[in-house]
Amino acid sequence: MGGVSRLLVDYGPAFGQALLLTWKLTFMSFVPGFLLGMVVTVLRLLPLPPLRFVLTVYVEIFRNIPSVALLIFIVFALPDLNVLIDYEPAVILTLSLVCSAFTADYLRTGINTVPGGQAEAALSLGMRPLRVITAVVLPQALRTVVQPMTSLLIALMLSTSLASQVPLPGRELTALVSKIATDSAAGMAAFAVAAAMYVVTGLLIGWAGATLEKKVRILR
Amino acid sequence: MSRSLENILFGAPSPQAQTVTRVVSGVAAVVLLLMAAAVVFRFHSAGQLEPRLWEFFARPTTWAFLGKGLLGTLASAAMAAVIALSLGLVLLLGRLARPRLVRWPSIAVIEFLRGTPTLLLIYVCFLVLPQVGIKLSTYWMLTLPVALSTSAVVAEVYRAGVLAVPRGQTQAARSLGMTEAQVFFHIVFPQALRYIVPALVAQLVIVVKDTTFGYVVTYGELMQNAKVLIANYNSLVPVYLVVAALYCLVNYAISRASKRLGRPVY
Repeated sequence: MGGVSRLLVDYGPAFGQALLLTWKLTFMSFVPGFLLGMVVTVLRLLPLPPLRFVLTVYVEIFRNIPSVALLIFIVFALPDLNVLIDYEPAVILTLSLVCSAFTADYLRTGINTVPGGQAEAALSLGMRPLRVITAVVLPQALRTVVQPMTSLLIALMLSTSLASQVPLPGRELTALVSKIATDSAAGMAAFAVAAAMYVVTGLLIGWAGATLEKKVRILR
Repeated sequence: MSRSLENILFGAPSPQAQTVTRVVSGVAAVVLLLMAAAVVFRFHSAGQLEPRLWEFFARPTTWAFLGKGLLGTLASAAMAAVIALSLGLVLLLGRLARPRLVRWPSIAVIEFLRGTPTLLLIYVCFLVLPQVGIKLSTYWMLTLPVALSTSAVVAEVYRAGVLAVPRGQTQAARSLGMTEAQVFFHIVFPQALRYIVPALVAQLVIVVKDTTFGYVVTYGELMQNAKVLIANYNSLVPVYLVVAALYCLVNYAISRASKRLGRPVY
């Protein structure tokens, strides 16, 4: 325990900043990723075969590519194509793309749980198909995906550790641990503190997700 | 009978809607093709389509080297999966055990391993363990952390499966005089496995993805070999593209297999 308290004296503020950066990266990539995933889901429903095909390929690519491979491609290969993206936006872009693909996948599953009779009823009331999607199907689908989206958010939070693979100006938790472990012998204590921060963040997200789920779930 | 939402919404279009759909489809196709053309042009104008950058893909040695990397990836992933499946079972048994002295530590271990990023565990094996005198080979520096973090997730997947087995099964087996261990291993767990095969195979995709971090510890997996190829042939974009495609293909194949396994057994 002595190791941990000495570490917190030396690196306490650094850990605070690292935790904040981890949270920031998580939030900044989840929100656009979620919105993009929703757009992809709706566009995939439209009866436009070329669009459907391209979006299915999009989802399969970003669901199956390892995020770190994607990040390395964006950071090191895109400059050769004259596309320059700064490190932090590159991390956020990587995580958003991956998040959007998984969101699209989960939302599609959520849509499948909405009984078809509802869409038929809405159509027979004279609603346009797009209105049926946005007003009847999507709100119910969103309520059913709270739990998988919570898991996705936690996975995304853990994935921000790959930001340690590029020279970000600030350090997030994993980068900080690797720096402390290289500089000093306090690696174990640093790891314990960082791990505790990750675990507590994950538990908080999980608790928030469960609370939301209880509020919005539809019992069928 | 259940129809898909697409079918309900757009299944019986009016002649007018049919025309509109066709026109919009055509426009969408043209726009998407234009975008693809723009990407190709981008490659061309950046000089990335020069044959010098691609010609070494015609040599069998290149593919042999990439194949070796892929084998390294799969060797690490397979070992990690085996460890995770068995360790996950141990953690599950601890999690379900009645004595608190066993149950609470198991829960703590599961939450800890599930809640920390694999990359952080890899850094611990890579940077911290040597400080305390534990030296692992690069293979284990990658495989062990991946296996540990997966085992916790697998334990939770197992638990979901076990809880999904109807209680009557346990009660019936108990009333036949089977011991608790017999009930678990002969009645509950085999049925639980049936429910969770798709989730387990999906976990395999995550294991393959996690082994990408092998280049951190310089273990010779696909990503690491890609970096070597890049250094040798000075061809960055093509190699990364090919490697990304290989990863996608492997994981896509596993995902498809999991969908197939996920179909109900009658």
